[in-house]
Amino acid sequence: MPFDALIETLVIGLGTYLLRAGSLSLGSRITWPVWLKNWLPFVTPAVLGALIGPLLFMPNGQTLSIWHNATLLAAVPTIITAWLSRHLLITVTVGIVSFAVITHSW
Amino acid sequence: MTKFMKKHKSIFSAALADAMPIILAYFPIAMTFGVVATANAMPPWLTIFISICVYAGGAQFMMIPLIISGVTPLSVIITVMLVNLRHFLYGTTLGPRFSLWPEWKKWIASFGLTDEVFAVTSSKDHVEPITPSYQFLFVFSCYASWVAGTIVGVLVDRAVPTSLSGILSYALPALFIALLFIGKRTMPYLVAAAFGALCALAATWLHMGSMGIIAGTLIGATVGAVINQLWISSIHRVNHT
Repeated sequence: MPFDALIETLVIGLGTYLLRAGSLSLGSRITWPVWLKNWLPFVTPAVLGALIGPLLFMPNGQTLSIWHNATLLAAVPTIITAWLSRHLLITVTVGIVSFAVITHSW
Repeated sequence: MTKFMKKHKSIFSAALADAMPIILAYFPIAMTFGVVATANAMPPWLTIFISICVYAGGAQFMMIPLIISGVTPLSVIITVMLVNLRHFLYGTTLGPRFSLWPEWKKWIASFGLTDEVFAVTSSKDHVEPITPSYQFLFVFSCYASWVAGTIVGVLVDRAVPTSLSGILSYALPALFIALLFIGKRTMPYLVAAAFGALCALAATWLHMGSMGIIAGTLIGATVGAVINQLWISSIHRVNHT
């Protein structure tokens, strides 16, 4: 893991920097196509969904589990808190506390 | 006090005043990253190294499950770079405001062009030109807070017992849920997320987990963008009739 992770970190770091610096340098010289500008904002929710799905529904990484799944059950108060509070740290705190309560009561 | 000193003092205080909300916000988030990464068995040096090299909150948190689950390096890189693609919109948007700068200074200041730095920089009024010394101080004080927060988070986690760090690992799904549901939660956004989740689940089920995140991202984002276009045009139609 560490060696792969080191390479991944270096490539992602360099790639992110080149995106930031290259686009600033190109700046006003280029206008990006409209379809790309319309597509990009949806990358973030799509990635979040793709990460959350397996984390919640396959917490052991192999089988789909809906019943007796503490990770999934704790997501319910977490989602409600996120929706109502719109606050990052409050949501994460409620999530952790819910998960602790559920795993301890089972 | 000489005129030279006064000018520099005002640039110094202006940059720090603008950076302060970001500095205060970054420290606990970076600390959370440090704690969550080490709680998920990421080596401390690697955790700090990621904050130094990548310096992008969302991408860094996404790297944790990807690195731990042993997804192939190419998939990790593609997935995270897709998330970071939005940064080129920031550079292109801000580009004209830096047009008088020497090229090499642009390449230094742009290192710190995160979501929050972009938001603050782009919201500044267009009358005052942005000077390099102001921008460097602004950008790198935010960066210092990010790296310092990560180091403190790693140190804090080492003092935490394993039973507690198992519970703290839930910070990761909770954080992704928070990012998804406190952002723009219009119908097309949530559809993009749902399609992303379905693709990733299907791929994990078929033991092609690493493909699932890339496929989920591309399919989810495309479905979301298409539905958004249809949605916008249907609202226009309703308004016209």
